[in-house]
This record gives sequence, C-alpha cells and structure tokens, in this order.
Amino acid sequence: MYLEVDNLSVDLGEFHLQNINLSVEKGEYLVLIGPTGSGKSVLLETIIGFYTPKEGIIKLNGSILNDVPPEDRNIGIVYQDHVLFPNMDVYENIAYGLKKNKKLSDKEIDSKIKNMADIMNINHILHRDVATLSGGESQRTALARALIVEPKIVLMDEPFSALDVTTQATLTSLIKKIGEEYKTTFIHVTHNFNDVWNLADRVGVMKDGKIHQLDYINTVFSKPNNEFVAEFVGVHNILKGKIVNSKKNAISVKINNKLNLYSSDEEYDHLKEEDIINKDVLVTIRPENIIFANEEFKSSARNQIKGTVINIKESGPIITVDTEVEGVEFKGILTRNSYESLNIKKGNDIYLIFKSINVNILDSYNAFNLHTD
Amino acid sequence: MRSKFEMLLIGITMFVTLLLFLVIGSMFLITSVDGFISSLFSAELLYALGLTLSTSLVSATLVILFCIPMAYTLSRYDFPLKSLFKIILDLPMAFPEIVIGIALLMFLGNYGIGGILNKLGIQLVFNSTGIIIAQFFVALPYAIKMLHSTFNYIDPRYEFVSRSLGYSEVDTFFNVTLPLSKQGLFATIIITLARCIGTFAAVLFVGGGILMKTDTLAISMYLNLSTGDIDMAITAGIILVIISFITIAIMEKYAPETYNNQRNLIKG
Repeated sequence: MYLEVDNLSVDLGEFHLQNINLSVEKGEYLVLIGPTGSGKSVLLETIIGFYTPKEGIIKLNGSILNDVPPEDRNIGIVYQDHVLFPNMDVYENIAYGLKKNKKLSDKEIDSKIKNMADIMNINHILHRDVATLSGGESQRTALARALIVEPKIVLMDEPFSALDVTTQATLTSLIKKIGEEYKTTFIHVTHNFNDVWNLADRVGVMKDGKIHQLDYINTVFSKPNNEFVAEFVGVHNILKGKIVNSKKNAISVKINNKLNLYSSDEEYDHLKEEDIINKDVLVTIRPENIIFANEEFKSSARNQIKGTVINIKESGPIITVDTEVEGVEFKGILTRNSYESLNIKKGNDIYLIFKSINVNILDSYNAFNLHTD
Repeated sequence: MRSKFEMLLIGITMFVTLLLFLVIGSMFLITSVDGFISSLFSAELLYALGLTLSTSLVSATLVILFCIPMAYTLSRYDFPLKSLFKIILDLPMAFPEIVIGIALLMFLGNYGIGGILNKLGIQLVFNSTGIIIAQFFVALPYAIKMLHSTFNYIDPRYEFVSRSLGYSEVDTFFNVTLPLSKQGLFATIIITLARCIGTFAAVLFVGGGILMKTDTLAISMYLNLSTGDIDMAITAGIILVIISFITIAIMEKYAPETYNNQRNLIKG
C-alpha cells in the first residue's frame, strides 16, 4: 500500500480520533464522508503532519512519517476556502512551493507555472490580486499551487463546497482528468455524495473520530456496515428480522414475525443453512430500489408486498413516500411524473416491488454488533 | 434618514470627543507665545526632548524584538502554565504604573540585583539605562497584547499550507506570518513608541527624575510644575501632545482600523 494509517489515535483535548485504519494505493482516489465534526479534516491534517498522533503509525511508501515534519512529507493540501496567501498574487501563490527548490531556475519555474496554468485554465489571471478572484478561480489557483510541487498525495478538504454547481462540475472533471493522467493519489473530504459518485475509487464513512466503513462505493451504499452508515448514505429502510429459510438465491427473512422478505445477498448465500437459520439480522433496502405500483404484476422481482401510504413528502422533482406493511414502515422515492401518474394519496393501498438482490443482509457474521456499535 | 438611536450614539461620541479636545486644547491657551518659544528652545527642554526620543527609540525597539516571539508563542503554542504566564504578562496593565516603578527600583536597586551589579561596576538605576528599562516593562505588556490579537486573527492554515509546500516553521514565519501581520505590527510599533515616550511614574522612580540627567519630557513637566515654572511645564506638555498626535496620525494613515483590515486581509 502507498499510504497506510495503522491504529491512529489523536487527542486534541475536546476531540479525539480513535483507532483509525486506512490504506490508499498509489493513484487511488479515496473520498471520506461523514457528518460535521466527525474528524475528517483532523485526519487530513494529521496525515499531513499538523497534529501529532497519540498512538499509531502513518506510513507513506514504506517510510514512517510520524516524526517527519510537514515540510518534508511532500503531501499537498487544498482547503474549501482556498487559503491563498493574500500578500501574493496568483502567480506568486503558485510559484511559492517551487521557489523552495533552489535547483530550479526562474525560467524553469516560469515554464512550470505556465504549464500548470494551461491545465487549470488560469493563464489570464496569473497576475491578479487573489482578493479579486471568483470562488472557482481561487480554487483552481489553490489546486495549481498544491499540484505544481508534484506531491505524493493531495489532501482535499471539502474543495468544492463553497462553489456553485456549474463550477463544481467543471472542477470535478478537471480533478478526475488530473488524477487519471498523472496517477495522482487523492484523499478528498466532502459532504457531497456527487463527489463520491463522480470521483471516488473507494469511500470511507466517518463519525465521532472513527472510520465506520471503508470500502468500494457500491459496497458502502448497498451493504453499509452499521445503522449509522446506512442512515448516512441514505439506505433508510433498515429492518430487524430473523432468517427463517435459506435456499440458493432465496434467503427468507421474517420481519416483525409477520412479513417475509426474500434476499439473495451473495455474502450470505454461500453459508450453510444450519449456520444461519434463526439468526437475528438487519436487512436494508435502498429507497430508490423500491418500485411502486397500483396492482400486483408479473415480474422477476421476488418481493411484491401490499401496503398503505402513510406519508408523502415532496422535494421538487423527487417525492418520498412512506408506507406501512404489516406494521413495518418502508420509505421509497419516485419521480413527480410517476407519483402523478400513479395518483398516490395518503391512506391509499399500494404495492411495493423490489428484487431480492436489493435486500441486503448486514454484517453476515454478527448482527448484534450492529445494534451495540 | 438616521434613526434616533444612531443620532444619540453619534451625539454622545461627538460630545465626549469635543470635551477631550477642549481639555487638551486648553493647554495651548494658558501659555504665552513668548513663554512657549523661550521654553521650547531652553537647554532643559531640548535635553528632555533628546533624552525622551533616544531612550524611547531604544526601548521601543527592544519591546518589539521581544514581543514578536512572545506574542506568537502565546498565540500558537501550548505549554505548561501558559495561563499563569499570560496573567503575569498582563499584570502591569492592571495596576498603576507607579507600582511597576517601585517594583523595578526594588529589583534593580541595592535590595535586589543592583547590589551585585554595583560591585561589578554596572549601574542600572538613576540613569538613561534605568529609563529604558522602565519604558520597556511598561510598554511590553501592551505590545504583546496587541500583537497577540494580530497573530490570533491570522488563520494558522496559511502556515499549514506553507509548510506543506516545503517551508520550515522559521521560513513560514518570515514568509507568511510576519507579512500577514504587518499592519498589526506597524500599529504595535507606533503605540509602543507613544507608550515609551509618555511613560512617567516608572521612569521617575527608576530614572530618579534628575534635572538635565534623567528628566524626560514627562518628568520635566512634573519637575517644572513642582517648582512653579508653568511655561516650561506646559511647553513640555504641548511637545508631548504634538509627538502623540503625529504618531497616532501616522498610524491612522498607514494602518487604519488595523484589526478590521487584518480580518479582511485574512478572509482573502
């Protein structure tokens, strides 16, 4: 692994990072998400060397970094609010890191800056005062300043959250291009799931100074490790149940002792029946995987259940519909068009249809851990 | 259209400021022009002016040299008993200047280290060295306080970024922190100089208030008032007012509303 963080703990008095373990491969794009105050920024600033770990090891390319000062780590950082030096213009900000390298002549520095300005599309603002830049221009400058010294890793602390949607999209494409072309390793902290979907190879979910799950995007979003991750990544339908039957591609889970749901969770599917029968488990179904219909119809979806609409929440083009089936609540989402064509109303009966592959069983080996986590 | 509240506040501000102006201005009315000119060019006041400026320049320089690292330390680093150190540094601002004067006299005199230093031929009291020491200790806490606020307003992430780009703590301090604090530093220099020039009680005790030897402008004003030479006393006062006016005007011109500007600067 290129970057390894083993059992890292940081004590900042009122805030602690606890037993952080993560690894990043060279050229990988890792995105960290989590609620405000979960420790994402502190983790970045510990990796770069601004906070001293209380315990644990940070290794980069095989070398232990714990006692290496930030200036010798060759790790770059980009902040949400850019943190451009206000006493320097755009050119001087970008040149700042290069000037430390005494082997580079002024001509070489100038040529590197112009190349980077081409990539970042900031040639026209090189001699502007940084106070006059727009959010997008400032962030391009901050990225250029961090990337021009060819850091081993670039840490990005919510780099796009202060930007408008169009600029965010442009910069996301730019970062993706840079990552692919130059095999740059990124660790990116964000609140925006679009950044996760657009950029991440893997995603880590943090809360209260801990990483609760670090895995490939699809795994985190479909098989969250625990209830917090499930809620945070928007799974919403987290149901307690008991496995009552297990056949190949059809694990039957009884919810509330009444409602039977079928799952074909791959992780569970290969286990012996006697090992899993009567096990208490949690199952999750993402709201977007539930299809609504006014009547039962033939389909490949193994779960077709009839419920009653108990709540409707409209958020622009997206409608969230809460339903109750045998005392169990389900949350589903649909577009305004579908909502209007189905004529969904509170108190009406409705069918919920979802495939067994979208019914995920959490923590195959110890469901109880999930409740006590 | 101004609100009544706004009008009231502006009225209070203007009234008190004008009152202060009248108080200061009255000094200019009491003395005669002839008396003022003859006093201004008297050997005593010229000596006092020279002594005040020379000692103040030295003490203000020393204050700035020490307050920069001390204020930065208090702003950025944690260390054992930091709160206690801060209280000790703030103490001289809380008690009358005369207390620091007596304390310094005790410390530097024969009851303190003065006894030992005298034997080595070093005299720290009743001379210009004593004046510089008194000015230094009176002005230092104010300077630290001002510069501490300045450093606090500078987001440490500027320093983080600089270090991530390969610069050491020292390089970062000189390349980033100090340039970003220039307005606050400039204001601190001006206020420190004004404070050193105006130091009275501590200078009187440690310097001894000896005519034509340790009488700064403030001391000269006091000595002449004691002997009833009003023209000399008021002329010394007017010179102090003029020097103060010039220093404050320079600050207003080159570092207006220092802290607001500093904040805007940092917001970038």
